[in-house]
Amino acid sequence: MASRSSALARPPAFRGIGRSILLTLPIALWSLLMFMPSFQHAGRDRHISALLVILFMTTLFFLMMRTGETYRWRRIFFVAMGFLFPFGFIAALVAERGTMSIPISRMVSGDTPFCFMVTPSLLLPAAFARTIIFPGSILPTASNPHSIAAMIGVWFAMTLILGKAWCSYACFFGGIEEGFAAFPKRRRLHRFITRFGAYLRLIPWAILVFVVLASAALFEPVYCMWLCPFKAVTEFPAVRNVTTAVQMGIFVALFVGLVVVLPYLTKKRTQCGFFCPFGAFQSLFNKINLFEIRFDREKCVDCTLCQTSCPTVALSKESIREGKTLLNCMKCGACVDACKKDAAVWHLKGTPVAVKPERARLLFLYGAWALATMMGGSILANSVATMVHWLPWK
Amino acid sequence: MEVKEKRMRTRILSILAYTGAGLTLVVAICVPFVLFQVFTNVVAHVGLHIDPAYSGGTVARTIDRGGYRIVVYQPVQPRLLERIEPFVQIVFEPADALPARVTDEIDLDGDGRPDVRVSFNLPADPNTPLRGDVTALNATYISLASVGGESFSRMVVRTGNKIVVRVPLNRGTVH
Repeated sequence: MASRSSALARPPAFRGIGRSILLTLPIALWSLLMFMPSFQHAGRDRHISALLVILFMTTLFFLMMRTGETYRWRRIFFVAMGFLFPFGFIAALVAERGTMSIPISRMVSGDTPFCFMVTPSLLLPAAFARTIIFPGSILPTASNPHSIAAMIGVWFAMTLILGKAWCSYACFFGGIEEGFAAFPKRRRLHRFITRFGAYLRLIPWAILVFVVLASAALFEPVYCMWLCPFKAVTEFPAVRNVTTAVQMGIFVALFVGLVVVLPYLTKKRTQCGFFCPFGAFQSLFNKINLFEIRFDREKCVDCTLCQTSCPTVALSKESIREGKTLLNCMKCGACVDACKKDAAVWHLKGTPVAVKPERARLLFLYGAWALATMMGGSILANSVATMVHWLPWK
Repeated sequence: MEVKEKRMRTRILSILAYTGAGLTLVVAICVPFVLFQVFTNVVAHVGLHIDPAYSGGTVARTIDRGGYRIVVYQPVQPRLLERIEPFVQIVFEPADALPARVTDEIDLDGDGRPDVRVSFNLPADPNTPLRGDVTALNATYISLASVGGESFSRMVVRTGNKIVVRVPLNRGTVH
């Protein structure tokens, strides 16, 4: 297998077309399997959207195989999911209730769709009082198919496979800031982030501890009620008094600051790297996950290109010297793609470092992309179906 | 000897790692067909319940009013730092069997004497926000005037085919 050299000297194709197609075939079949129900039951909008999503996911995987690059193609999927999820979600809300705000009547009837971001807040009350502090329903109902049991079930299953890679293959919010981070050519505040990265990385852990303890003490999902930036683009409690107005103000300020402005300025996923408590919680699962990124110290020249390219500051000079990423690495592949010496490699724990890294990458990508197709693909299909439905010339 | 041992160890570890990676793939394939449902069932059957501040708690008894019924719930007490008042939930159902104007005196604690008088007009359009009045007939409860969906402890709202009323309790009288 051809080895990758520098980005500039990189051969135009990492793998031949035939071999790339062959390696893409399982994902193509998986995509067809995932969207089979759309072809069997739903209308023309669904057929078109399913077909487009199958083509989209399969093509991106093919390009990963053909070029040997991961980050670039994953990012296209991830940003598409990030921007299309709120579009489809808001369209569904407006069609159903005419507003993005969730009235208290829907909360007491258990109709709030469950979001995985609240999971850490639920842990202590669930463990010690057997109580779920979320206004949803435990089992799916006709009015709320996104039940707590179903969403926690899918999160847990996917976390076993992806670990922290959930944040770069499955999170339907992260793509928004990754999109804004992709716009500018120049990165600003780079020196600040490099200098204070070690402290900035600790903030999500501090917020996680605060959110878990405060949620247990107040018996309410503190992150959802006060700190979630993505409430601004999904649904939020209806503004009915000063408290809910303040909450709404915080959601909008956090969204604009952490998801739009700072990613645009720094080219980093600032909400994910410096704020998200769920991301910190998810980092713990990297310990039990088999896949990771490692550095071949014999090839590494300490150019820190990998550190600069990392969207969540999951690398430090010390960690690179030790040949490892930090615990919050989300396996997006940015450092591997950026490394001009092929020193950053995909790695399967237990195997020697830098021996058959492409095999490790393939094993990881099949699982990750299969789940990305299952979860992200269905999100994309829903949103695309909504767009197709609204086409003026249809 | 040491080199041989080290090589053997590396080999065993590699075999285990690749077996684990293979299993991960199997798990990934099983997620939508088997595992998703298995995990869902596990979560559903560990005996968890929704916080009564949202669900209203457990049903105490049902009062039959002929065409409709009134479901009275157990009083909900806030936990130590919980930001809600103690309340009791009353549900009128089915909403489509209710008269246009509802006025009901309800015995909440089961002592045979009415505790609150609940009154509201039922709009023909189910999407029209509901407002109602609650008059406390003893010191245990707090009266509400023209209340809608203001807070989790004070509300008269429509949810589907039900009217949910929450009456706050006087903290000093709650045991």
